[in-house]
Amino acid sequence: MAETAQKRITDIGPPHYEKFLPPIIKENYGKWKYHEIPRPGVIVHISETGAKLYTVRAASPRLLSTAKIRKFAQLAEKYSDGYLRFTSRHNVEFLLTDPSKIDPLIQELESIGHPVGGTGNAISSMVHTQGWIHCHSAATDASGIVKAVMDELIDYFKTMKLPAKIRLALACCLNMCGAVHCSDIAILGIHTRPPKINYDLLPKVCEIPNVVASCPTAAIRPSTYDGKPSVEIEEEKCMYCANCYTVCPALPLNNAQTDGISIWVGGKVSNARTEPMFSKLAVPYLPNNPPRWPEVVQTVKKIVEVWAANAHKHERVGEWIERIGWPKFFKLTGIEFTKQHIDDFKHAGLTYKTSVHLTY
Amino acid sequence: MAEKVTIEEVAEAMYKMVKDTMGMKKWKAMDLQKAAIELFGEDRCDKNLCKEAIKELVNSGRLVYTYFGGSYLEIPHKEGAAND
Amino acid sequence: MAEQMKKYETPLLDELEKGPWPSFVKEIKTAADWNPMANDLLGLLERSYRDKIGHWKHGGIVGVMGYGGGVIGRYTDLPDEFPNVSHFHTMRVNQPAGWFYTSEALRTLADIWDRHGSGLTNFHGSTGDIIFLGTRTEELEATFSELTQAGFDLGGSGSDIRTPSCCCGMARCEWACYDTMKLTYFLTQHYQDEIHRPALPYKFKIKCSGCPNDCVASIARADFSVIGTWRDEIQIDQEMVREYAKNGVDIVKEVVALCPGRCIDWDGETLKIDDSSCRHCMHCINVLPKALAPGKDRGAVILLGSKAPIVEGAILSSVIVPFVKLDDEDSFNDIVELIDAILEPWVEEGKNRERVGEFIQRVGLGNYLEAIGLDPQPEMIRHPRTNPYVFYENYLEEE
Repeated sequence: MAETAQKRITDIGPPHYEKFLPPIIKENYGKWKYHEIPRPGVIVHISETGAKLYTVRAASPRLLSTAKIRKFAQLAEKYSDGYLRFTSRHNVEFLLTDPSKIDPLIQELESIGHPVGGTGNAISSMVHTQGWIHCHSAATDASGIVKAVMDELIDYFKTMKLPAKIRLALACCLNMCGAVHCSDIAILGIHTRPPKINYDLLPKVCEIPNVVASCPTAAIRPSTYDGKPSVEIEEEKCMYCANCYTVCPALPLNNAQTDGISIWVGGKVSNARTEPMFSKLAVPYLPNNPPRWPEVVQTVKKIVEVWAANAHKHERVGEWIERIGWPKFFKLTGIEFTKQHIDDFKHAGLTYKTSVHLTY
Repeated sequence: MAEKVTIEEVAEAMYKMVKDTMGMKKWKAMDLQKAAIELFGEDRCDKNLCKEAIKELVNSGRLVYTYFGGSYLEIPHKEGAAND
Repeated sequence: MAEQMKKYETPLLDELEKGPWPSFVKEIKTAADWNPMANDLLGLLERSYRDKIGHWKHGGIVGVMGYGGGVIGRYTDLPDEFPNVSHFHTMRVNQPAGWFYTSEALRTLADIWDRHGSGLTNFHGSTGDIIFLGTRTEELEATFSELTQAGFDLGGSGSDIRTPSCCCGMARCEWACYDTMKLTYFLTQHYQDEIHRPALPYKFKIKCSGCPNDCVASIARADFSVIGTWRDEIQIDQEMVREYAKNGVDIVKEVVALCPGRCIDWDGETLKIDDSSCRHCMHCINVLPKALAPGKDRGAVILLGSKAPIVEGAILSSVIVPFVKLDDEDSFNDIVELIDAILEPWVEEGKNRERVGEFIQRVGLGNYLEAIGLDPQPEMIRHPRTNPYVFYENYLEEE
């Protein structure tokens, strides 16, 4: 790993995207007229010039070895003149001009374990976070749950038989590096116990005023412990958000016994039909049960299937629930409604039902 | 009109602020800027000077950016979490 | 790296090699065949699966010289057992706008990472960067040097402007109402200093979506959301509408009844849209892409302030500019001016870890608009206040 003494280059930003666009895109940039989805995982864009661009979309685990990246590069050279892209949901897309190459590409992708699909009224790849692979604050793993859930729901990735799109996402803690707060179904890792104070470490690595200021419920106060500056935590005020842990590593919340998973439903970011909406709590707690998290998988599957069986065409999960009402959602899914579903954070009153628009 | 201070002077003053309060206060870039402008006066020091001074301090390795739930400027040191 | 690598038994992770979805465990094992870091990651992850807990410590000081963003420090809490992930820092590499690549560019990136890191990546991280997953402190500068020589740079992290991202826009979508990739590239280049040298109260994310379908979730995930729209009539090809009807689309049920503006009529022959009531939601266009298209007078809505729950609760971005044209360099410069104006009061007065959306809620949108020089407009609110507690700054003289 010898180093050259070249002049240090900084602040150049990313390469210009034009370097990576296939000729057909350069020629038809801003000229696309419409698109069709001839089969799941294949989109054809037709330009006003008559040009046709065929996109083949395949699933990806997001975590890729450099060997797999080279494999994708090789596939791109074989089938799409060396051009490909990735989507905002981690799918890989090959950009073809020759429709006769679609079938062989799909076969090859499937043969190396990358199913093709995720278009139209389907479940696309899940947006997710790092989990135990890389994160210090993870309350659960990310990739493992995604794998287990998508193994079970693969049929909805490879077909387009759902009433509408459905976006699944997973975040391994409340920091939500993935946009789970506006997903049709969100899987969220949670802590359920206050932080444990590491009194030895705290004065060495944490700045007390910052720690105190970090708590949204003012549960943390400065104190001394064994003659050294420390903090004390009013545990009944703690809502396990872990904001203090982010500013002070001596306040860990991770707990093998009590960390777990919550399930949220009915969010969307698209403006189509209804305005964007937040996901709402469906299941407050499920256990962390690696390696395949059966409780989480079955709960998500149940919600997907109940929605698929009951929603009108084009109705996203949140729109469906708005139409049928939350009581019916809980009844149809068999999910128990508890005290924990009722909001008690800021502006909680806005979530109470203030009409007699009820179904029986 | 008062003469502007130099980037070096601002950098020196900022370095001293960080050094003198090491372990007691964490400085964000904005805190250093506000403190420097307060110290030298608005007519002699401005945002751009402060920005350049911070760049100078960081490029020379006298200060480093750190992140603990927010980005700070600190004297380089071995961090608590580091393994050998 | 020629020494014999330890072989870990991974009965729990092996379960995740089964099944039809692509397996991240297979990816880690592929890299673990030759890379000691990936090999120890495999062992450590198996341990996490057994212990039901993560084994990472947050590092806050490592980076490349001069930058405060782009590197996330990580150390395992079991360094004696897993020495090759004793350091396991992430590098965020700024992606090309729209996530387009050539095979050559991908190989360049893979080669660099094979020389310096774990052989593992994310395509892509949540904010949009290419993620180089795991390396030692002493490899950071060398990796950075090779990246910049290959024309790549690091993205943001910490209290800085984060790597802007966008949908594929005009490159491959007929609905793009402005050039998302061009604007994203422009803003990324303009804010290099702010991306690499954190000087803000907390993170500030920029996401550019070409239409109201918002494929990059900018309304939920970006402090500064640019969402394409149009303000003239939806373009209609009546022949094509009839074609859809003939082929089984129930125009009344699937289009007319679901229009939030209730502004579409269909008599079996002609589709009529009262564009003055159109809410630009995209639904009719989504259902009939061959027949309908956004109008020709295109631009964008600018919204501000979205974020995930930490710490004061989740916020969606809200409108601050109801319509702006974005078709030349001047209009891009106006966006820069707007961003600069937006940052100023927040940078001056914002608290550590307070996102701009939370700051606005603290000081009030009305006051904030005054500070950044925008006039209040009814497009900015759902409805006017329902309480009578109005502040009057200039008291009227009593007669």
